[in-house]
Amino acid sequence: MRTARRNRLRRYATPAIAAGGVIMGIGALILLGRYAPSLADFGRRHVLILAVNAVAAVVLLGLILVNLFRLVRDYRRRAPGARLRARLVGMFVGLTLAPLLIVYFFALQFVNGGIDSWFDSDLEQELSSALRLSRESLEVQATSRLSQTSSLATVLGSLDGEALARALSVLRADAGADELTVFTPELRVAASSARNDALPPSLSEDAQDELARTQRFVALEPQGGARYQVRAAVPIPGDLPAGAGEQGSRYLQAVFPIGYRQGRLADAVQDTYTRYSELRFLREPLKDNLTLTLSLVLLLSLLSAAAGAFYLARRLAAPIESLAVGTEAVAKGDFDTRLPPGAADEVGFLIQSFNGMIERLARAREESRISQQQLERERANLATILGRLSTGVIATGADGRIRIANDAAGEILGVDLASRAGASLDEIAASGPLPAQFIEASRPHLAGEHPEWRGQIALRADGARRILNCASSALPGDGGDDVARAGGAIIVFDDVTELLDAQREAAWGEVARRLAHEIKNPLTPIRLAAERIRRRYLPSMAQEDGQVLDRSTHTIVQQVEAMRDMVNAFSEYARAPAVNIARVDLGQLVREVAWLYRAAEGQPVVTLSVEEGLEVEADAVRVRQLLHNLIRNAQEALEGQADGRIEIAARSVPGGERPVAEITVADNGPGIGEDVLTQLFEPYVTSKKKGTGLGLAIVKKLVEEHGGTVGAENLAERGARLTVRLPVRATVRDALGEARPVRVEPWRERA
Amino acid sequence: MGLLCSAVLHAQEAGVEIRSASTRLDDGVWYLAARIDYRLNRETLEALQNGIPLTFELRVELTRQRSWLPDEDVASLRQDFELSWQPLARSYLVRNKNSGDQRAHTTLFAALNDLGRITALPLIDAALVDDAENYEVSLRAALDQQQLPGPLRMLAFWDDDFTLESEWYRWDLRSGKRL
Repeated sequence: MRTARRNRLRRYATPAIAAGGVIMGIGALILLGRYAPSLADFGRRHVLILAVNAVAAVVLLGLILVNLFRLVRDYRRRAPGARLRARLVGMFVGLTLAPLLIVYFFALQFVNGGIDSWFDSDLEQELSSALRLSRESLEVQATSRLSQTSSLATVLGSLDGEALARALSVLRADAGADELTVFTPELRVAASSARNDALPPSLSEDAQDELARTQRFVALEPQGGARYQVRAAVPIPGDLPAGAGEQGSRYLQAVFPIGYRQGRLADAVQDTYTRYSELRFLREPLKDNLTLTLSLVLLLSLLSAAAGAFYLARRLAAPIESLAVGTEAVAKGDFDTRLPPGAADEVGFLIQSFNGMIERLARAREESRISQQQLERERANLATILGRLSTGVIATGADGRIRIANDAAGEILGVDLASRAGASLDEIAASGPLPAQFIEASRPHLAGEHPEWRGQIALRADGARRILNCASSALPGDGGDDVARAGGAIIVFDDVTELLDAQREAAWGEVARRLAHEIKNPLTPIRLAAERIRRRYLPSMAQEDGQVLDRSTHTIVQQVEAMRDMVNAFSEYARAPAVNIARVDLGQLVREVAWLYRAAEGQPVVTLSVEEGLEVEADAVRVRQLLHNLIRNAQEALEGQADGRIEIAARSVPGGERPVAEITVADNGPGIGEDVLTQLFEPYVTSKKKGTGLGLAIVKKLVEEHGGTVGAENLAERGARLTVRLPVRATVRDALGEARPVRVEPWRERA
Repeated sequence: MGLLCSAVLHAQEAGVEIRSASTRLDDGVWYLAARIDYRLNRETLEALQNGIPLTFELRVELTRQRSWLPDEDVASLRQDFELSWQPLARSYLVRNKNSGDQRAHTTLFAALNDLGRITALPLIDAALVDDAENYEVSLRAALDQQQLPGPLRMLAFWDDDFTLESEWYRWDLRSGKRL
C-alpha cells in the first residue's frame, strides 16, 4: 500500500517538478520579455524576475542532475535502454544547443550594437548647445532682472519702516516681481512684499556668499513644473536711514518669474538633455542588464531543453526498454510477462504484437505441458500394466540397449532387469546363464532383423528346462525409411514350461488311466486262468510236461504281477488325490524315510544332514512319497555298485519373501546321461537299467503340486544330485497359475 | 566644482552619518531636529551629474520601551528628499517629496548641507505620549535604491556602490540622551 503510494508519488513527482520548472522558466521568460524593454518596469520587477529565474533554473538544474545521475548509473549497470536514452539525450541537447547559442550571440551583438547606436557625438553636442542657448537666453533675462533690481535698490536707499514696506509693495507691482524683500545687514527681514505669502523669505547661503564676494547675486531657480524664477540680490546703496545704528548695508532681494512659455521651452530642452545624459550614463549598466537577461533566457532555454530531452528520451525509450525487459524475461522462460500497451504508433503495435506472441507462446507451452502430463500418465499406466503383467516385456532402442523391461521379464530370466534400463544386451547376457541363452536366442529379433517373429526358445539352467513363448516386433522409429533399424524392437515372452508340463502331465495321466483300465482288467482273468491251468493240469501231467507247465504258468503269473505293478504305478501317477496341506517337520520326515533305507548288506550307505526345526507347509503323504521316490531313484542308480553312497540333506534357504526348504539327494553313481538330462522328469525317461521311468515324473508332479521346483545335475566328480525346493509357506496353484497363500492347519499323520 | 567634488569625495569616506539628533516639545508637539552628513561617492556623484535624481529617505521610529515585552511601535515617519542636478540652472535642487518644498543650491556642498539639516520635523502629538513611559526615538537616513532607474538598481543589487546608509541613531525622547 505504502509502496504503491510511493511509486505513484515517484511516478507523478518527476513530471510535476519538470512541468513546474518549465512553467516557471516560461514565466520567467515572459516576465523578461514583458519588462525588459521598459527600464522603469524592469527595474521595479527585476528582483522578482531574477528570483523566478533563479528558482526555475535551480529546479531545472536539480531535475537535470537527478536525471543525469540516473542515466549514468543505468549506463554503468548496462540497464536496458540506457544507451538509447543517453544517445537520445545527447542528440536532443546537441540539436537545441547549436541554434540557441547562435541566436544568443547574434542577439547579444545586436543589442549591444543597437544600444551603442543610440549615442551620437553630434547629437550630444547639439543637445549641449541647445541647453546652453536656453540657459543664455534665461541668463539674459536674469541679467536684466539684476539691473532692474539694482535700480529698485537705489529707490529704496533712504526708506525705512512703514514707508519701506509701502514702497516695496508698490515697486513689486510695478516691476512685476513675485517678491521683494529688504534684509538688514544682519540678514533679518526688514520689509517684504510677496505676491502670495508662501514661505518666509530668506537669503540663501549661496546668495550671502556671492553678495559678500561680488556685491550682487543672481540665480536662475527651477520651481518645478516647468516654472523658473530669477532671484537677484544687491546691496541697497546709499546711507542708512538716520538712527538705524547698524553697520554695513542692507540688501534687496527680488524674485521675478520667468514667462511660462519660455520656462516650458527651456524645461523641455533640459528634460531632453537630462534624459540623454541619463541614458548615456546608464548605457553600460543597461548592456550588462540585457546581457544578463539574454544569458538567463539562454540558460533557462538550455535547461528546459535538457530537462525536456531527458523526459522525451525516457518517453521514447520506455516502450523499447520494456520490450527489452520483456524479451529477456521470455528468454528466461517467464511467459507471464505482459507489457503495458503503448501509444498508437509503430512501437505500440510492436508491443501489441509482442504481447500476442507471448500469449501464444504461453498457450503453446501450457498445451505442451498438458500433453507432457498426459504422456507421463500414459507412461505410468503403461509401467503399471507392464509391472502387473506376468508376461515378460523387453524393449530395446535403436542402439541395442534396453529401454523398457518389466519385472516379469526379470523374474522369468532370473535377473533384475527393471532397474537396468539403458544396459546393453551384452551386459544383460553377462549377468547369468538364463539371460545369456535368452539374449543369444533372441538377439537377431531384438536387433530388429525380422519385423515380426513368433516362436519358442528353450533355456536350460540348474538342470531344468524352461520353454519361453516369444513374440517380437520391430518398433517404429522416429522417422526415415529404415524403420526397423531406427526404432529398436520389443520382445514379449511367457514362461510356458509349467503350462507345457501340465499339458504333458495331463496327457500322460490320460494315457495312464486308459492303460490302467485297458490293461488291468484282462490281467486278473489272465492270472486266474494261468493258475487254474496250473492247478488243473499240473498234478495230472507227466514230470517233464509238469515242469514246463509249472514254469510257464509261474512266468505268466509273475509277468502278470509285474504288469499289475506297472499298471498300479501308472494309476498312481495318474491319480491326483486332494492335497492336504499342513505344517510338517521336514527334518523328522526325512529322517523317518531315510531310516527305511538304512544300509543293509550290498545296499548303498545313506548319510543324513538335516537342519533342525525345519518346517514346511505341505502334504506329508506326498512329501513322504517324494522322498521315497528320490531315494529309490538313487538306489536304482547305484544298483550293482559296491561303494554306493547316498547323501541326503535338508536345509532352509532364506529367500526374502518366499523362503524355501531345500532337499538334496546326491549319489555317487554313473550320473545322468546328457541326452536325458533335460527330459529327466518326464515319464519313461531313464538312463537306468531298472525302474518304471515314472519315479522322477511323479516327484516332479508332487513338487509342482506344492509350488516348488525340482532340478537335476551331474556332480563334478561322479554321480548326480537331485534338488527339490519346497516353499516354506504353502501356496496352491490356481487356475491362473498364480500362487496364493492357503490356510494351514497342523497336519496329523494318518494312522 | 570639480575641486569641490574631490574635496567632498576625499574629505571623508563616502556614506551617511547622523551627527546629532534631538527632540523638543513645542506647543504640544514633539519636533525632531537633526544634523546629517551626506557624503557621496564617485558613482553616486556621477549618476547625479548625469541627471539621475537621488532620493534619500529619512526614517524615524518612536517606540515605547517595555521591561519584559518587546518594545511597542508608537509611530513611524518617513520623509523622502530628492537631490537632483539641474543643468539649465546649473544648480542642485533639494526637494522634500512629502511636502513639495524645494530649494535650489548652486553648490553641491550647500545642497548636501541643506539636505542634512532637519530643523523642526513634527514627530508626534504630545497627547499621544504617555508621561509615565519611556520612549525611544530611532533615526536613520539612507539612499533609496528602489527609486534609482532600473539598470542602476540591478547594479546596486550586485555591488554596494549605491548603498549609502547611516546607522540607526537612537535616543530617549525626553532626555535626549543617546541610547
